[in-house]
Amino acid sequence: MKISLTLEIAKSLMLARLKQTTVAAVGVTFSLTMFVALLGFMNGLNTMLDGLILNRTPHIRFYNEVKPNPNQPIDQSEEFGDYYNIIRSIKPSASRISIHNNEAIVKTLQEDPRVLGVAPKISAQVFYNVGTINITGVINGIDVEAEADLFFFQDYVTAGNYIDLKNTANSIILGKGAADRMMAEIGDVIQATTAQGNRIQLKVVGYYQSGLGDLDNVQSYASIATTQKMLGETASYITDVQVKLKDLALAPSMAREYRDVFGIDADDIQTVNAQFETGTRIRTLISYAVGITLLIVSGFGIYNILNMMIYEKMDTIAILKAIGFSGRDVNNIFIAIALTIGFVGGGAGLILGFLAGLGIERIPFETEALPTIKTFPVDFNPKYYLIGGVFGLVTTYFAGYFPARKASSVDPVDIIRGK
Amino acid sequence: MKGEIVLEAKGINKYFFSPEKTQVLKEVTFQISKGEFVSVVGKSGCGKSTLLYILSTMDTDYEGALFIDREEMNTKSQKYHSKIRNEKIGFVFQFHYLLNEFSVLENVMIPGLKLGKYSREELEHRAMEKLKIFGMQGHALKKANQLSGGEKQRVAITRALINDPLIIMGDEPSGNLDKKNGDIVFSIFKELTQEFHQTLLIVTHDQDFAAATDRIIEMEDGRIIRQ
Repeated sequence: MKISLTLEIAKSLMLARLKQTTVAAVGVTFSLTMFVALLGFMNGLNTMLDGLILNRTPHIRFYNEVKPNPNQPIDQSEEFGDYYNIIRSIKPSASRISIHNNEAIVKTLQEDPRVLGVAPKISAQVFYNVGTINITGVINGIDVEAEADLFFFQDYVTAGNYIDLKNTANSIILGKGAADRMMAEIGDVIQATTAQGNRIQLKVVGYYQSGLGDLDNVQSYASIATTQKMLGETASYITDVQVKLKDLALAPSMAREYRDVFGIDADDIQTVNAQFETGTRIRTLISYAVGITLLIVSGFGIYNILNMMIYEKMDTIAILKAIGFSGRDVNNIFIAIALTIGFVGGGAGLILGFLAGLGIERIPFETEALPTIKTFPVDFNPKYYLIGGVFGLVTTYFAGYFPARKASSVDPVDIIRGK
Repeated sequence: MKGEIVLEAKGINKYFFSPEKTQVLKEVTFQISKGEFVSVVGKSGCGKSTLLYILSTMDTDYEGALFIDREEMNTKSQKYHSKIRNEKIGFVFQFHYLLNEFSVLENVMIPGLKLGKYSREELEHRAMEKLKIFGMQGHALKKANQLSGGEKQRVAITRALINDPLIIMGDEPSGNLDKKNGDIVFSIFKELTQEFHQTLLIVTHDQDFAAATDRIIEMEDGRIIRQ
């Protein structure tokens, strides 16, 4: 049968029951609006929360770990080399924590096409001297520009200008928690003592706030040169090399590869932060489950309304059959009604869902813990609209399928005789 | 006989199974030729309506053989029956049965649109022409439920005619109408058979109506007692 005739009859049946049809369509609209808004909001939050850690974490980190030498002298001796030796109470060797020949390592990494950027770093344990007491802390010596490019350093500097760290000699950006404890204002000079006993005066040029309280109580930032001077080391002293890759998925294999090449320790982001991926996945799963439940509920609404319509329109179905419409034609008419409800209601739902997303994005969301976030984050990924749209149509199709099958099997003789 | 046989029933038996097995049609055998105006009469419950539904292919649960246009129907699929109903049979029911969701014109056009032989414009033209025959052209754009009973029945007859069917079947087409409208319907049928040589098979219990037709098939207790 011609599609135009099916659609025309479907349209007339819907217009004859406009109110019910609208209610069914509004059900679909509501559930798709919620589906899209919920997923967008949920994933916006996910991305933000993950970013909190992942933005700040290098994809691969090279360093020397303080650990016992796996190659003990007794194993190297000719006499006992083939024995099974048990040594008790091994202590870590006094190997240096700086990375040997780090310039060559950085250069090799920068030439690798898979690498987005490389940022060297020094980690130094210090005590901040406040009056008579000392507060423990860690000063990270960083390449300010590389850190800003690769790890969004500037986003987390909540007061002061991050570039002052490079331009001002002996400057420091204090963690917000540490600054509060020391009651250090920007422009103040604080005093720190390194683990080796060197004392140094540092000028506060900004506050750093990552949103993770524990981190902000301890971490502060200085330039690499300042940190080297503080530690009394030469310009080649580097303790960490941080690498950001173009493709995060390559991190484990590249970490393994370079661990062997350079002969130093390498950690990849997947191993270090496995729990974040799990959390993200479960949050996404929950939002899909809620969204799909909404859609199925609206599917039952359509099912009910179509069933009612079929009981009301028994006469119409009987007469259509009597004048030559086959069961299949009648089936198609009711499927067309269901799909029209799904298409119109769903389309409106996607648009409203988008608008709801825009609305949520404007709601102020300011919290101490998240300095970079001013409003609720929403993810407008087209993927969610596509999934919502397709799933909406599939649900309405199945909601229409059973009533349509019932309509197609109506026996016209029963109806016409019954009068 | 006037011409070729358009409808033939051979030994049709039909049973109802609820509440218990009863035979409602017994060895019904007859033929209808082209151009005949035939009426089926009988008391209420004699099986004449049941017979009509079998002849119209809507009821397929029977024994015996049915030929429409010399084509055997028993062996065909439901889908094919739908096609036959659309193309070769026009229907007029006792309770007019127009589609209330559509206008008068659309009601007339729908079987034609389903057949798909003519374009929409041609069909509209044809439908208007046929409405004119019965003086209904002024009501073409009204909704079906805005018409009176007699008007509805005239539209239903127009709809039955739209695909130039081989035969028009009527189940008490004047049964629900007053005398005046019943007479109008009868005169329409008469006109159809005389001027357009339309074959008609009308089930009725109205003796006056039947008496004026070409041929009467009289039924009693599921049997044809006179034809």
